[in-house]
Formats: sequence, C-alpha cells, structure tokens
Amino acid sequence: MNMDNKDNKETIDFIVGSERKIEEILRDDEVKPLLTDTISAGASLAMVTDNEGVVLWSSGKDSASSYVVKNPLTLEGENIGHLIIKGDKQVEEISRITYNALSLFLQTNLKRMLTTEVHLLVLEQSNQELLETNKQLSASENKYRELSEHLEEKVKERTAELNQAHARLLQQEKMASIGQLAAGIAHEINNPMGFVMSNLNTLKTYMARSKELLQQCLSAADRGMVLPEFGKSFREKWKQLKMDMILSDADDLIHESLDGAERVKRIVSNLRGISHIDEDVVGKVDINEELDMILNLLSHEIPSGAKFIKKFNPLPPFICNPGLISQCFLNIILNALQSRSEGLEVVIETTCEDNQIIILIKDNGPGIPDEVINRIFEPFFTTKEVGQGTGLGLTMAYDIIVSHGGTIDVEGKNGATFKVKLPIRI
Amino acid sequence: MIEYDEIDNRMVLKLVYYGPALSGKTTNLLKLHDLLSKEGRGDLMVLDTTNDRTIFFDLIPFFLVAPSGLKIKLKVYTVPGQVKHDATRKAVLQRADGVAFIADSQLSEFSNNAASFENLEKNLSYVGLEIEAIPLVIQYNKRDLTHIIPEEDIRRIWDPTGIHVFTASALHGNGVVESYKALLERTYAYVDKKYGLFNMHGLDRDSFVSKLTMLQDNKVV
Repeated sequence: MNMDNKDNKETIDFIVGSERKIEEILRDDEVKPLLTDTISAGASLAMVTDNEGVVLWSSGKDSASSYVVKNPLTLEGENIGHLIIKGDKQVEEISRITYNALSLFLQTNLKRMLTTEVHLLVLEQSNQELLETNKQLSASENKYRELSEHLEEKVKERTAELNQAHARLLQQEKMASIGQLAAGIAHEINNPMGFVMSNLNTLKTYMARSKELLQQCLSAADRGMVLPEFGKSFREKWKQLKMDMILSDADDLIHESLDGAERVKRIVSNLRGISHIDEDVVGKVDINEELDMILNLLSHEIPSGAKFIKKFNPLPPFICNPGLISQCFLNIILNALQSRSEGLEVVIETTCEDNQIIILIKDNGPGIPDEVINRIFEPFFTTKEVGQGTGLGLTMAYDIIVSHGGTIDVEGKNGATFKVKLPIRI
Repeated sequence: MIEYDEIDNRMVLKLVYYGPALSGKTTNLLKLHDLLSKEGRGDLMVLDTTNDRTIFFDLIPFFLVAPSGLKIKLKVYTVPGQVKHDATRKAVLQRADGVAFIADSQLSEFSNNAASFENLEKNLSYVGLEIEAIPLVIQYNKRDLTHIIPEEDIRRIWDPTGIHVFTASALHGNGVVESYKALLERTYAYVDKKYGLFNMHGLDRDSFVSKLTMLQDNKVV
C-alpha cells in the first residue's frame, strides 16, 4: 500500500474559520428562483451584489422605478453584499420576504459548509490514523509471521542445546567419578609412600653407620693393625666387591630414592587437593593458593622456556565448591599452555575490586579468530585435532563460573585473554 | 492567524476556548455575547449540539479597525470537550493566535483537567504551535460550586509556570470578561511582534483590548 498520499491525492486543505465570499456560500439554483419569484410577485428588478457593488445575480429589468429597497446581507456579523429590489411601493413587503429567505440561505449554508468542512477534516484525519494503524498492524503481523517461520528453527536450536546440556551433565558425572577414583588411588598410594619414605630415611642412617664401621675396618687393615693374612684378604675382598663404588653410590641411590618418593608424595598430595576429597563441597578458598597449586601440578606439562608471570594481589576468601573452581582454572591454564610450544608467556593476575574477584589469564599465543570466539565455550567445540582435545575444558570452566554467579569474558586479539569475575558472597 | 490580506488591509485572528468536557467553554462565549457591546461583535453562532454538548464548535466574531484602517476580525471559537471529538479539536486549533483553557474547578474533575491540558499540548504541537509561545490563559470555572479545588492549590500548581490563571463563574458572568481581556492582551503582544500593530497600524494594546471588550450600556461586571 502506498502510504505517501501527498503526490497522488488531492488534499483538502481547509482552515476552520477561513473567510468566504458571498458567491461561495450562495448557489445559483438557490438565488435565481428566489429572484425570479420576486419579479413574479411584482418587483421590476431584483439583484444581489457583493460588497463592491458588483452584480452577482439579477432578474427583471432596470427601470426608472420610484422605489428602491437596498438591504445589507451579513455573514458572521460582517456586511458581505446587498439585496437590491426596485419597483413600485409594494416592493417593500416583497423585498422583506426575499431578504429573509436569502438571509436564511446564507446562515444555514454557512453552517452547513462549516460542519461539512470539519467533518471532512475529521474524516481525513481518521483516515490517516487508520492508515497508520493499518501500517503498524501489518508491521506487527510481519513480525509474528517471521517469528512463526523461525519457530521451528528455534525449537531445533533449543533441542540441540538441551542435548548438549545433557551430554555435558553426563560428562560432568564421568569427570566427577574420575576425580573420585583419582582421589581414592591417591589416598591408597599415600599410605605405602609414607612408610617407603620413612624406611628410606632409616636406611640412610643405617647405611651411614655401616659405612663408618667399614671405613674403620679398612683403615685398620691398611695400617697393619690386624693380622697380615686377614688384612690382605680384607683388602682383596674390598676390591673384589667394589666396596668403594658401592659405598659412594649407596648415598646417591638413597638420595635419589628419597627425591623420587618426595615427588610421588607431592603429586599425590596435589591430586588429592584438586579433587578436594577431604573437603566439604562448599568451602572458603584463597584463589591465589588455588592457582599456585594448579601451577605446581602442571609443572611437568609446562614446555621448557615458558614463563609464568604471577601478579597476585591479596584476595578475600571465596566461598565456593573448591574442587570445581580449581578444575575451572586448571582448564583455562591448560588452554593457555597449549597455545604455543616455544616462547610461551602466561600472565596470571588476580585483583579484588567492587566486591568482585577478578582473575586475568593472558597468553601470548596466536589468539582466537573472530569466527570461533563465540563458539569456544560450546561443548565439544575444539580447534585441536581429533583425539587431542575433548572440547569440554572451556565449557566446564564456563559452567563452573556461571554456577558461582560469575562471568567469563574472552578477548582473542594479541593472544587470548580470559577474564573471570567472581562475585564475593557473604 | 487565519488570514492577513495586505491589499484588502484586513487581518483575521483566531482565539480558541479549550478544556475538558462540560467545563463551560460555550457558557463563556454566551456570556461574552451577553455582556459585550453589539457594535464590536457579530452574533454567536452555535453549530449543532446534542443535549447541549458541543460537537463541532461555537463561534463569535469581533471587529475592530486600527487607526491605519486595518480591519481586524477576531473569531473566538470553542472546541468540543469530549474525548471522542479529538479530530475536531485539532481542526479548530489550526492557526490559533491564542488559547483560553477553561478548567473545571470541581475536585472530581482534577484528572480530566490534566488530561485535557495534556491533550492541548499534544494537539498544539500537532498543528505546529508551541504551548510555550502561544498566548495562553487558564480559567478555573465553576467557582460558585462546592467541593472545588482551593484557590491556593491552583496558585501553587500554576504560579511556577508563569501562566496567568483566573477564577470564574461563567454561568453568573464572573471572571469571563477578565479572562478574555487577559487573553487579548497576550494575543496583542503576540501579533504586534510579528505584524507591527503599533508601528505599522498605530494600534496600541489598550485600545485593542478596550475596543474588543466594550460592555453593553446596561451591563456591569
């Protein structure tokens, strides 16, 4: 529908109150019969003039009549013309009737015109309003049509989202059981590791004492403080058994074993920490400590030459599910670790402002291209090759942050920067 | 301004009595018709009404000739107050040179007054006029009734706006001419600024107002 009716429609432009001339108000078919009738009634000339004296309508013939009656015609209180009637004496009566009739025409015609004009104006306005309403209605109709057309699509989208959420739940369940399994194993390893280390330490002392005793025997033999036969055979046996090498190596062996045991203990302890088997589901954690622990745990994954820059500011304790929170940061940091094999630099910054803990994890890797930045939190979305990544790490991180009432934003230019904001709940 | 014809030396002005339904707009015009001298005015024209409710408009014309010979015709209109006649109100409001807002003093009419004033603002802007610029007076009518808004409340509401407010009892003729005079004073200033009524036509404000408000000999207000 063409709404622009300015070009193709004659607009009716009345101004209520605009001035009118007598010939606009009186019509020929009203005035002429009236004047003719006046002549028939006995007048010789009957005419209507405008204010300037111009004759607008006339009937009969001008004659040198003795009688002339000239009556002013008024409209809205103003003189707008005259009715002039000539004849003999009786015209006075006739002219009075004609004048009254003409005045009545004037008044009623004016009223009719005014009301008609207002009517037309009102109709035109209503028409415009209707057109406008119609336009709005068709606009909203289009909107609804579009909506209904896309409804199916939306349903599909939602279904897919639901399916993904379901898959995520399953995965979480799986992850949780893996975590529990790991924690259980860690606990089991911890006990034997305890006595292995304790025994190794005892063995170290025993060894030192045995060494001292053997050294004493050897020095006695060398100095001839024993029977020469015994001294000689002791020396030979010493050499045959490579006691010098054994005694010096034994220290190294025990030392290395203790080192190894220490490492096993630390790994196990971190494993227990990450699964938080010993802690309640909800607890207070210091995010800084949590991040430190994660970095320790990851030390073997960190490529050589990689630099970690920690800018930790003191943080208030954060109430959360500690296992989930460390899982979340582990995933984000892992993601950063895998961004680049050489010259990696990861900045981890923590601050607390406006009742929020803000954790910034920034790497100097290739960044995230615009076309995938919106998808990185999607489950099973991964840029790694098949079998390399699950596509769940960042999804889990996202879910965990959101479940703690926080937000996670990502910026893909100049490396990837993850900004996590966690509201401090009291 | 309905019309300004320099050749004919003639100017036609329009004033509009606006306000909520049954606030007394037509009564104001009736009283002006009764009280003011026949010489300077025409007859009151009442277009069709139903049950005394205006459905088109009422009109009373006034006349005046400036010392320069400029013929001024001033048409005073009422609008229909009923909500449903909004299109008619817009039509009548076109090219107005001044507005008298007739409010109903009764407490029960408070919100109707407000709605009507808002409607005036909206419709003025619809016809390209600004409420801040157009000459405007407010008349709180029906002061003779009981349960009416106290005058101090009226002052408190309107004084900060600088709009001149009158109280009236149009049915008894009180305040009708005063409101009209005040509107004429403002209208004079408004028209004088644009068309030089004083400089070009030698017409000053006082004679403009007094010629248009000459009382009939036997009337006392």
